[in-house]
Amino acid sequence: MRALTTPTEQPLLELDNLRVNFHTPTGIVRAVRGLSFTLGRERLGIVGESGSGKSMTGRAILDLIPYPGEVLADRLVYRGQDLLTMDKRTRRKLRGRHISMVMQDPKFSLNPVQTVGEQIAEAYRVHHKASAREARERSIAMLEAVQIREPGRVYELYPHEVSGGMGQRVMIAMMLIAEPDILIADEPTSALDVTVQLQILKILDDLVTERGMGLIFISHDLHLVQSFCDRVIVMYGGKAMETLPAAELADEAARSQRHPYTLGLLGCLPDLDHPKAKLATLTRDPAWLA
Amino acid sequence: MTTWTDYLTTDSPTSRRQARLGQLYRQWLAFKRNPLAIAGLVIVVALLLIAAFAPLIAPHNPLAQNLDKRLLPPSAVNFFGTDSLGRDIFSRIVYGARVTLVIVLLVVISVGPVGLLIGATSGYLGGWVDRLLMRITDVFLAFPRLVLALAFVAALGPGLENAVIAIAITAWPPYARVARAETLIIRQQDYIAAVRLQGASQWRIVWKHVVPLCLPSLIVRTTLDMAGIILTAAGLGFLGLGAQPPIPEWGAMISAGREQIFDQWWVATFPGLAICVVALGFNLLGDGLRDVMDQR
Amino acid sequence: MTTQPAIALDKLNVSFGDAHVVKDLSFTVQPGESYGIVGESGSGKSTVLRVLAGLNRDWSGEIAILGKAQPKIRDKAFHRQVQMVFQDPYGSLHPKKTVDDALAEPLTIHGIRDAEARIGRAMADVGLPPSFRFRYPHQLSGGQRQRVAIARALVLEPTILLLDEPTSALDVSIQAEVLNLLQALRQERKLTYILVSHDLAVVAHMCERLLVMQFGRGVEEMTAATLAARAPQTAYAQQLLTASEGFKRQVATIPA
Repeated sequence: MRALTTPTEQPLLELDNLRVNFHTPTGIVRAVRGLSFTLGRERLGIVGESGSGKSMTGRAILDLIPYPGEVLADRLVYRGQDLLTMDKRTRRKLRGRHISMVMQDPKFSLNPVQTVGEQIAEAYRVHHKASAREARERSIAMLEAVQIREPGRVYELYPHEVSGGMGQRVMIAMMLIAEPDILIADEPTSALDVTVQLQILKILDDLVTERGMGLIFISHDLHLVQSFCDRVIVMYGGKAMETLPAAELADEAARSQRHPYTLGLLGCLPDLDHPKAKLATLTRDPAWLA
Repeated sequence: MTTWTDYLTTDSPTSRRQARLGQLYRQWLAFKRNPLAIAGLVIVVALLLIAAFAPLIAPHNPLAQNLDKRLLPPSAVNFFGTDSLGRDIFSRIVYGARVTLVIVLLVVISVGPVGLLIGATSGYLGGWVDRLLMRITDVFLAFPRLVLALAFVAALGPGLENAVIAIAITAWPPYARVARAETLIIRQQDYIAAVRLQGASQWRIVWKHVVPLCLPSLIVRTTLDMAGIILTAAGLGFLGLGAQPPIPEWGAMISAGREQIFDQWWVATFPGLAICVVALGFNLLGDGLRDVMDQR
Repeated sequence: MTTQPAIALDKLNVSFGDAHVVKDLSFTVQPGESYGIVGESGSGKSTVLRVLAGLNRDWSGEIAILGKAQPKIRDKAFHRQVQMVFQDPYGSLHPKKTVDDALAEPLTIHGIRDAEARIGRAMADVGLPPSFRFRYPHQLSGGQRQRVAIARALVLEPTILLLDEPTSALDVSIQAEVLNLLQALRQERKLTYILVSHDLAVVAHMCERLLVMQFGRGVEEMTAATLAARAPQTAYAQQLLTASEGFKRQVATIPA
C-alpha cells in the first residue's frame, strides 16, 4: 500500500460540516447534512445510492449548485485558500484551472457543433495565454496522454463521431489540460461498457500516481470503488455513514467493524463466488440520520 | 376546509375520480403561483362574464341608431363615445364579446380534434399515410393564413359563419404539425411498446395512449392561437368579409372608425383596445397552462 | 406434458438499413428455464428481445414460441403468453395513467372479466400495497415503478417473461428486492425467463444458462456454474469476466 498523504504535506482540500440545502415551496430539502473530509494526493471514493448527496457534494465544492440551492460549511479550504470567503470571480478562475469535474455522460457535456479538439484547445486558452498553434499542440499531446491512438485525427472529429469511451477520454483530456490539482469524477464510467470502463480508470489512476493529483471518485458501484480507490466515504441521506480504507471493504475479517449500512450495501449485491438463493435486502435505520 | 384539501392532496387516492381530481388540484396549485397566468385567466373569465351578461352590462341598445348623437366623445352617458351612426360604442363592445367568443369557440371545436387526429395518426402510422397527410398539411401551411381565409370567404360569400369556416380550414395545419411532432417522440417510448405488447390495436394506441399526451401541448397551442384567431376574424371584419353590419364585431368596428381616426379617435381605439386585451389574456393563459401541463 | 421448448430461435438475422445487428443467432430455452443474454452495448442483446416480443419486424429466420412458429405480426394469443419488462422504469410507464389504468388496460384489450380481482392480485403479487392503486407514476419511486411494470406484465398471466435489464436503472438495494421478487414469481408460476443484462453477477444469480454476445453474434453459451468457476472457453467471455471483477492495476492495460 502506498502512503495516502504524507503527514507533513498540506491537504489539497479540507471540508468541514458541509451542508447543501434546497429551499422549495414545500420546505427545505437537505441534500447534504454535515459532511467533513480532507483530500490529499489520493483516490477518494464517495459511494452511495441515489439521493445520498454524493453528487451534490462534488457540485458544492465547485460552487455548481443550481438555484434554489445553497451551500453552507464551517470550513472549505483549497490549499490554504478559503473558498467560502473568496469572491465569485476568483472562485470561477479556480474552477477548471485548479479543480475540475468530469460528468457521467460525455454526450451531454460536449458542444455538438465544435470539434472535440477545438474544445480542448479552448479549455486550455481560457486558463493560459497561448497562441492557437501552441494550444493545438498541447491538445493533441493531451489526447495522446489519455490513450487516444490517432490524436491528430480525433482532434478534427465532432462529438457525435466519437464513441462513448472515446468521448469520456476527450472530456478527461479537456478537464486535465489545465493541469488541475483536484479532479472530481462524478460516475465517470457508469455510461460505459465494462472493458472501456477499465481503460478510463487506468488513465485516472496514472494521473494520481504520476502527477500527484487528488481524485474524488463519486460512484454508486461499491465493487468498483473498493477496487479502485484508496479511501472510501459511504454516504446515506446526505451524511457520511463511515470513512474507511478501501481495502477494508473487501476484508471479510473486518466485517464486524463495518457500519450496518455498508454491510447492507455489500450484502445485497449478487456475487459470483457466493451464490445465494435469495439476496439480502437492506433495512434502513432512521437512527443513522439522527 | 381541511377535509377536501386532504381528499385532493392525499398520496393514496382510493378511486379513479379522486386520483384525477387530485392531479387537477396539483396543477391548479402550480398555476396559482404564476401571477401573469392568473391575470390571463381573469381577463378570459371577464370576457366570458361580459358575454353572458351583455344585456345587463350594456347601458344602451347596441343597434339603436341616433343620428342626433353622432360621434360624441366619451362621457358619463356614453363611456366610450358614439360612432358615426350614433350607436353607443361601449354597448357595442360588450355585445361584440359574444361575437368574438362564438368565433373562437367554433374554430377551436372544429380545429382541435381534426388537427390532433390527423397529426397523431400521421405520426404514429408513418409511411405513406404520413407522407400523404403531411403534404396536404404543407399545402395549407404554404399560404399566409389571412390570405387563404380571404380566398375561402370570397368563394363562400361574406358573413360570420363563412368567416368561421374559412378560419377553421386555415387553422388546423399547425395543430396537426404539433401533434405529429409529439407523436414521433411518444411512439418511441417504452410505455407504447408495452401497450403494443399487450396486443392493443393501432387505433386504440393512438386514441387512448398517444392522444392524451399530445393534448396538453395542443390545449396550450390553442390558447396561444386564440389571439391569432381573434385577429384573423377582426381582419376579415375589417375588410368587410366577416360579420356583416349591423352586428357589433370588433374588427368591423375598427374598420368603420378608420375614416374618423384622426378627428374622433375613440371610434377605432376602443374596439382596438378590446382586441388587444383579450388577445393578451389568452396569450398569458396559454403560457401559464403550458408551464403547468407540460411537466411530465 | 409437452416437450416443446418454450422459445426456439433459428438463424435469426436482424438488420436496420445497412446495419446488420444480429447475425445467425440460434438458441433454445426450455419451459421453466431462466436464460441470460450478456454483452456490451451494440452486441444486439436488447434487439433479440424486442424481436422475440414482436416489437421489431425487420428480421429473418425462425422463431417458435411453445412450439408454434411466429409470424412477424403476432396474434392476441401470443401476447397472453409472452410479456416484457423494460429497462427504464421512468420511461416504461405512461405518465398520465395511474397504476390502476396501467393494469386494467391489458385486461380490457383481452376482454377479461374479473379485472377488479386480477388487479388486486397482481399488485399483491409484486408487493405493492393497495393504497398505491390510484397513484400516478410521478408519485412512485424507481423501484415501485418497476414493480408496477412487472405487475403489468403478469396481469395477463403469461408463461414467458422477457426482462430487458430490469434492474440496471435501480440502486443496488432496490435491485436486490426486484431480483428476489422475480425469483419468487418464477418459482410460484413456473415462468420462463430471458434476462438481458450487462451485469454478469446478476445473470449468474438469476439464470441457469447464459449466452455471451458480441457484435450481433452468439460468442459462447455456458452454464452459470461455468461462469462461477471462471471457466469460459472463449477469450471474449474471459475478458468480460475479468473486466467485471473490478479494477486491478496490473490487468488494466489497454489492448493494442
